Amino acid sequence: MLYNPVSLIDRRYLITGAASGLGKATSILLSKLGAELILVDIDEEGLNDTSKMCSSNVVKVIINLYDISELKTKIKDSVTKFGKLNGFVHLAGRPYISPLKSINEKTTTEVFMLNTYVGIELAKICTNRKIFAGERGSLVFISSVYGLVGSAANVGYAMSKSALHGVTKSLAIELASKNIRVNCIAPGFIKTNMLQKISESFNSEYNDTLTKLHPLGLGEADDVANSVAFLLSDMSKWITGSIMNVDGGFTAQ
Amino acid sequence: MENFLEQMAELFEVDSVNLQDEVIAFDEWDSLTGLSIISLADDEYGIIISVNDILEAKTIQGLYELFNQKK
Repeated sequence: MLYNPVSLIDRRYLITGAASGLGKATSILLSKLGAELILVDIDEEGLNDTSKMCSSNVVKVIINLYDISELKTKIKDSVTKFGKLNGFVHLAGRPYISPLKSINEKTTTEVFMLNTYVGIELAKICTNRKIFAGERGSLVFISSVYGLVGSAANVGYAMSKSALHGVTKSLAIELASKNIRVNCIAPGFIKTNMLQKISESFNSEYNDTLTKLHPLGLGEADDVANSVAFLLSDMSKWITGSIMNVDGGFTAQ
Repeated sequence: MENFLEQMAELFEVDSVNLQDEVIAFDEWDSLTGLSIISLADDEYGIIISVNDILEAKTIQGLYELFNQKK
């Protein structure tokens, strides 16, 4: 057998946001590497699509992530049937473009809940000894270049993503004794439906400007998926508490 | 009482606890679990306790009495 340090055979992970975009691409790649997956999303049709494209054992769980009680119960039930987990990737998230003068508490709280706090709850659930496989633990959060650098009309989203950096570092320390690594990927702009929707809010100059911000051009979903695979695999066994910039050079400028 | 036992089981990451179970005998017992108990006491029971209080309480029964005595 060929040496493959990125192999994820005999590992199990939970993937949120698995129905589309980065979550879909990541699920398909991890599955190709041998990982068994619990695919989580609220979009049943999208989950079916992703599931069909996965080559390993996967289960689909439809969850409204805003409902923490449901999240807890459904993960516990799935793990009982599926087996204990080595970790998770929290890819579910939502954008929030709003200048300061139009920002509102309700939407900001929802953005923080989904992008950030759900990640903390997932960590709480998945590191419990009744859920965690007990070895090779790895949790991966997905933030954004806008968790690292500023941009106008983005304060709510930036808050939720930069908060993940603190969460990552804090949990990395707290969970090191359990041999669970915690890392975060801060992607630049990726060609996904979410980006498409955001771009439609602006004129064509916006897209040109956006492309110029990335010396290597806009990213593909696979660029992020590859980084997730690295952070879950033994290739990164001495890496914890890191924020990995996967942004085509955006933040190098 | 039932709610308290469920909370303890959650913190010690076991299916259930018994009143005679010794706190330090749980696999999950460590300083962070101790802090979690202190935090629970403050957040949900409105009482301030210390790690020493927990150690002196010794058992789940002792913790239950501690939580109620300080209330």
